Amino acid sequence: MSSAKAYLKTLLSANNITVPDNRSGFFDTFCDSEHNQNIIEQILQNQKKLMENWQIRNRVQDIQDQNLSIPNGMVGKPYQFVIDRQQLRWSDVAIVDIAGLNEIGLQFDSSTNTISGMPVSSGDHKFIISYKLTQEGGVEAQYEKIASLIVNPDARSLWKNIPSDTHDTYWKEDDITSFGALGDKKIVVASKRGRSHANKGSFRDDGFRWLQHASGWGQVVLADGAGSAEYSRKGSEEACKAAVAYFKNKIDPAAFAEFDGLLAEQHQAADALTLRKINLWVYEKLGAAAFHIFKHLEQCAADMQVPLTQLHTTLIFTLFKKYGFGYAILSFGVGDCPIALIGKDESVTLMNWLDVGEYGGGTRFITMPEVFKSDKFATRFNFKLVDDFKYLVMMTDGIYDPKFEVEANLEKPERWKQFFNDLDGGNPDGTRVVFDAANDNIANELSQWMDFWSPGNHDDRTLAIIY
Amino acid sequence: MRRLPVYFLLDTSGSMFGEPIQALNNALSGMINTLRTDAQALDSLWISMITFNRDITELMPLTELVNFQLPEISCPQSGPTHTGMALEMLYEKVRTGVQKGTATQKADWKPLLFLFTDGKPSDILLYREMIPKIQSLNFGAIVACAAGHNANDMMLKELTDTVVHLDTADSNTLKQFFRWVSDTIEQGNKSMGTTDSISLPPPPQDIHLVI
Repeated sequence: MSSAKAYLKTLLSANNITVPDNRSGFFDTFCDSEHNQNIIEQILQNQKKLMENWQIRNRVQDIQDQNLSIPNGMVGKPYQFVIDRQQLRWSDVAIVDIAGLNEIGLQFDSSTNTISGMPVSSGDHKFIISYKLTQEGGVEAQYEKIASLIVNPDARSLWKNIPSDTHDTYWKEDDITSFGALGDKKIVVASKRGRSHANKGSFRDDGFRWLQHASGWGQVVLADGAGSAEYSRKGSEEACKAAVAYFKNKIDPAAFAEFDGLLAEQHQAADALTLRKINLWVYEKLGAAAFHIFKHLEQCAADMQVPLTQLHTTLIFTLFKKYGFGYAILSFGVGDCPIALIGKDESVTLMNWLDVGEYGGGTRFITMPEVFKSDKFATRFNFKLVDDFKYLVMMTDGIYDPKFEVEANLEKPERWKQFFNDLDGGNPDGTRVVFDAANDNIANELSQWMDFWSPGNHDDRTLAIIY
Repeated sequence: MRRLPVYFLLDTSGSMFGEPIQALNNALSGMINTLRTDAQALDSLWISMITFNRDITELMPLTELVNFQLPEISCPQSGPTHTGMALEMLYEKVRTGVQKGTATQKADWKPLLFLFTDGKPSDILLYREMIPKIQSLNFGAIVACAAGHNANDMMLKELTDTVVHLDTADSNTLKQFFRWVSDTIEQGNKSMGTTDSISLPPPPQDIHLVI
């Protein structure tokens, strides 16, 4: 049956008309008439056209409704995204152009369907994709789809550097350095306010002190005030002050003489008993110092009429002294600031363990009474006797987090090698700290080096190196 | 880099249909845009969104703010509020998605949870069963927001001490609320004791802390 006849049959039946057998000849004649043939032809063509139009429009609507996810860009960072026609099931889509890209520093290459360039402005940018459908053949019809591209600002450009209020009762310098001789070694320290504080004009919470005591002991103290405690800058300051003052004024000079004696004994004939006595001395004397610091902070809080928790601070300190037979090094720590002893042979000895919680920022503070009641209190002290050392390094988590990331890395000599290589200029900025006894500019060098950029690490940074 | 994981549980039950869901979409978009201009947030914030009505949908798995694209949130015209089921999904997501510190793995900041609802849980048994589990996750803050007069403040109080009440779920109030949320998020990455919660900034005028 011809398509004309088939169509007419369908039409009649749609109108509930059936052609009886005795009229089939009549039906054929009716259908074959040129006039009717033309009408049917026209109808069939129109139907076909209508179907095509429907399909095209329906396809355009599909594309309109389709979620086109374009990855976010960042201001100043090269951007490239290929519109994957296969993945989008756009094999029939020919993108002619994308309008609105130039304004934000991007171009579209229709031969490769690639959006690329360097975004210049942040925001949620809308742009218009013009396309053709290949099933339309040569027809010039174009369609449009609106898409959006989020460009993030460069986080680096957003950090503000708002000076802290110098009139504040508990103000301290945003940046501070120190350099000098400690026994026959040198010490360099830099302490910098973190970007997260600079961004809000708040204060540096870290603190440090060092002193050469008349007893021959050199002492270095670092403290990191808790970000969540309002007066932790005062807490860290007072903790450092009290630690140094204790060994300067409070400790009985005879106690040090006793220690010298024990060490000499141990050197002449090392035995377990003397070592026990040494460790007991360290535990008692440094433990008393730690408790004195706690009491001092308790008094400070009372004077300030604030809860002790507002002074929360971590604390690490070391004492070292040179003897004819080598160096004695003592340490104490509460919190998450590491102390490492680097030997002349580049061996690494960690002097303390870190208080790290299950979540970031979770640590313990010298201001927590439970620290002194814990079974682990005795393990917070350390004593080493070494021939010599290359560096004694103390740092707050503002340095430790970006440079060592996790605790396990502190034990790896290669990470320390990398760390000192970094200090020696092996970094993107090429800043270099020269550890040479003749270098008087080392504090500035260290301070500059400590401006290093590390995404997500914007805490206060304090680093003390004895060399 | 330390991540600050922030979870949003959003009520998309039938009562949110129409203007409220539109207002929620606008307010969330405003919040994300605000956070995008915050240096600290851009460097550390990870966001997840879970919606709940009869069904629970992880609308957005935990995604870095830098890569985050806010999807349009829609809701059915009617249906129950399965808050308990939402907490159940959240519990699994947080347990498996948030990194705890070990000697070899960097810990995330304490996660934060914001729960937004305009009704009360339809699955109250499960809701109550999930509460101690959610609390055991040791969030840095759990903020529950009850919007409109049908929201049950006291039921939310069982989950967290921090319940805020919005009189209406209109565009302006929701904007204020989510602006406050972004301020709260900015408090989230600070060092603190192992058990402390973060301190919340004072809420704006149309947002009442439920005591």
